[in-house]
Amino acid sequence: MRGDGAHARPMVGHVPDPPSTVGPRFPEPPTAADEETERFLRPYAVDAGTADRPTDDPVEHEDDLDMLTLLVAARLPGEREVLRPERETILLRAVRARTLAELAAELRLPFSQVRSIVAHMIADGSLQRCGPSRPLERQDILHAVLVGLRSL
Amino acid sequence: MASADSETGRGTPEAIPQAVKIIVAGGFGAGKTTLVASVSEITPLSTEEVMTEASYGVDDLGGVESKSTTTVALDFGRITINDDIVLYLFGTPGQDRFWFMWDELAAGALGAVVLADTRRLDTCFHAVDFFERQGLPFVVAVNRFDGSEPYEAAEVREALDIPAAVPVVMADARDRDSCRDVLVELVTHVIRSRSPAMTG
Repeated sequence: MRGDGAHARPMVGHVPDPPSTVGPRFPEPPTAADEETERFLRPYAVDAGTADRPTDDPVEHEDDLDMLTLLVAARLPGEREVLRPERETILLRAVRARTLAELAAELRLPFSQVRSIVAHMIADGSLQRCGPSRPLERQDILHAVLVGLRSL
Repeated sequence: MASADSETGRGTPEAIPQAVKIIVAGGFGAGKTTLVASVSEITPLSTEEVMTEASYGVDDLGGVESKSTTTVALDFGRITINDDIVLYLFGTPGQDRFWFMWDELAAGALGAVVLADTRRLDTCFHAVDFFERQGLPFVVAVNRFDGSEPYEAAEVREALDIPAAVPVVMADARDRDSCRDVLVELVTHVIRSRSPAMTG
């Protein structure tokens, strides 16, 4: 069974879990009948970017994202971001690789919320995770950090 | 090797550095944000979480003089080590209610600095316990506040029951050189504490 209309969108971070029903974490995709009730969204909610997509798409990346996950924009902001300033900002900031922590700080939104938005943006191909150009061994990192700190 | 990149270096999308972190922990008002700000190359950023007015009357400010800003959530600064490595310094949320965030913060960290405020030494017990349990190497930096008792490092070590292998250093969180020395001490300690494990 589906929750009531106000809970039909995955406003991650704000919506309490639906009352212990079995089934998917997110409600099923909206049907035409739902469209009427689903307009009653809180005006301050920042959606995770799923409003134009079926809401039960797996967001498999989210749990893997941490403060230091590096992200780079796969494209420039376009029409899809017209009414989504958060996503636009992320794409503009991430022209160069940025950590998730930096993006959250620059957006002035709670980290968990930005992580959710970013996870969806990775899923739809707007953002890419990236690893370091030159992966280093832990010991090499430590020695380099020591040298770098000493020269501060 | 690194010099080959340095011309085009940080502006090009190809040169993606490795992001590493050091945790700065300690009680509420111990000077974590100050330390981060002292060595960071950027004005410390803060990831916002929902906690502002609610802190009034909830946080224990006893013994904390003239602290006008509260660490709302996670403050962090950045130090570009070289073309390949960027070091982030994360201040832990000082309030106990943000305890749940520590696990995520500590995961993958190079090490941690526990800032001790000698006026309220008990406030860093949590941090010491946490890092010991996690097996994350740490140093204790005793932040010398104006008006605080001039304790010796040995006294603090004894009061906190810090093992002999863990460095306890005196510091001034407002002073860049002092903070740098603390971080150098930490990384030296991390390297040292890893060596036995690697050889045997």
